[in-house]
Amino acid sequence: MDMILLVSTLIKIAFILVLILTFNVVLLWVERRLAAMIQDRIGPVRAGIPIFGYNLALKGLVQPVADAIKSLWKEDFVPPNADKFLHAMAPLVAVIPVIVAFAVIPFGSSLYLNHAFEVLPPEPTGRVIPLQVATMNFGILFVFAMGGTGVVGSAIAGYSSNNKFSLVGGLRAAGQMVSYEVALGLSLVGCFMLYNTLLIEDMVRWQIENVWGIFLQPIAFILFLTGSTAEMKRVPFDVPEAEAEIVGGFVLEYSGMKFAIFKMGEYFELVLASAVIVVLFLGGHHLPGLTDRGIDFLGFAQPLWHGAVVAIHLGVFLVKLVLVLWLQFMIRWTIPRFRYDQIMKLSWRYMLPLALLNIFVTGVVIMAL
Amino acid sequence: MSIAAISFFFVCGAVAIASALITVTQNNPIRAAFSLLAHIIALAGLFIGLQGHFLAVIQLIIYAGVVVVLFIFTIMYIGPVPKPESAGRPSFAKLFSIAGMVVVTGAVTYAALGYSPALKGLNTCPEAVAECGQFGGVEAFSAALFRGGVVPFELISILLTVAVVGAIMVARGRLIYREKPRRKKQELSIENNR
Repeated sequence: MDMILLVSTLIKIAFILVLILTFNVVLLWVERRLAAMIQDRIGPVRAGIPIFGYNLALKGLVQPVADAIKSLWKEDFVPPNADKFLHAMAPLVAVIPVIVAFAVIPFGSSLYLNHAFEVLPPEPTGRVIPLQVATMNFGILFVFAMGGTGVVGSAIAGYSSNNKFSLVGGLRAAGQMVSYEVALGLSLVGCFMLYNTLLIEDMVRWQIENVWGIFLQPIAFILFLTGSTAEMKRVPFDVPEAEAEIVGGFVLEYSGMKFAIFKMGEYFELVLASAVIVVLFLGGHHLPGLTDRGIDFLGFAQPLWHGAVVAIHLGVFLVKLVLVLWLQFMIRWTIPRFRYDQIMKLSWRYMLPLALLNIFVTGVVIMAL
Repeated sequence: MSIAAISFFFVCGAVAIASALITVTQNNPIRAAFSLLAHIIALAGLFIGLQGHFLAVIQLIIYAGVVVVLFIFTIMYIGPVPKPESAGRPSFAKLFSIAGMVVVTGAVTYAALGYSPALKGLNTCPEAVAECGQFGGVEAFSAALFRGGVVPFELISILLTVAVVGAIMVARGRLIYREKPRRKKQELSIENNR
């Protein structure tokens, strides 16, 4: 294994980790403040760092840091008669697959090391670094594989807590997530057929050359958004946690850092689902009017360095990611919780037939054209 | 094979064997299911080592994501963990299964060491052959499924549908055919007023 490959891969992994941990802190803040504003409250704004008699609160941005410190110092309580090993393993099983799944998400265009400080020639040479940790030939399926493994975490958490509310929450989580995995997987098959590939980087390339996926597969977009929200167990699909009926469900008996890890996993899943939506439906890092060689928009042409173009692409991806996350938050704080039977009915009676219909119509259109 | 590939194989193989042993020896069913999950993930790693990328992902989606979850789901429904049997004299069945395990392990080891003529034909994938790397990929798999075996595949899916419908019928009994007893209007109105 040569040195540049190793170093660049390590840098990319570090970038992903720093990115999702930063997003975690900021999303916690945004979620609280946004919820407060939607509900006509102020939200947490007081926790701050005292400097020279002045409270540095940054509009509440210090609150997540205070939460992290509190979680670290809190007692790690394990209920009596609980299965201690499984109780400790469950948060890890829930969170590690989500982090691993980020490996296949391309977060920018390819970087040609030789041409970083010049305009990209028509036939670039030299080493190329794709801004994606792993290019594997099963592509998007890897995200599903990892997402599916994460289900076990919440089920085991519910079982090992030795608490009836937790058990009910774990059962609900397992049933709901297995049901929605089917519809979630089938909702994207139309996209696979359209892009004619499973590799995410090729899907992004197809969208750059043709048109963004959301315009050709709107039903798949809505199904995926709904299904991923259910898979993340967020409102309106949060019956596994439903604090009003089963007081937190499978996270009930968790405290301190283990609880924080569950909550972190939820935000990681949120970022992952939003990133998948960006690369599958919103053209990934594509910005209309910006080519690999520079700006080319309505007759206005301005060549740019290749390195600058790659940096702009990265920024465009992050802006799209933030916009999708904003949409997810607005959904989260607008729609009230569904009942469990409504959730099951939505999955099996509406989403699954719609996904199959979408596959059928896409197939017919592709064959006809 | 490079050193990285060999060490990957040995790590995955060791985890697979250890977790499989834990799965069959563990008394607590949830822990057994959990180590089955570890076994499945290690097995997926072995498939990746053999260039069976698609099989590895399907293994994770179907077995880790659905089958293990349904196992855990069922175990959680059944309820409290049964008490393990008291360790008395080993029964005939136990001795027999241990003997069988030893025989099978010996036979597989013997075959794998290359003394069996039946396994002489198995080769690892040489890196020079391009088709060989495609063997377990998505394209090769779908070509085999939808060009070679599409009729058996569809027949099996019909068979599975019939089995699912039959299972539901058996579970529900004949109750669904029985007409609901008609209630008088008076009773209904009383019920509605409650």
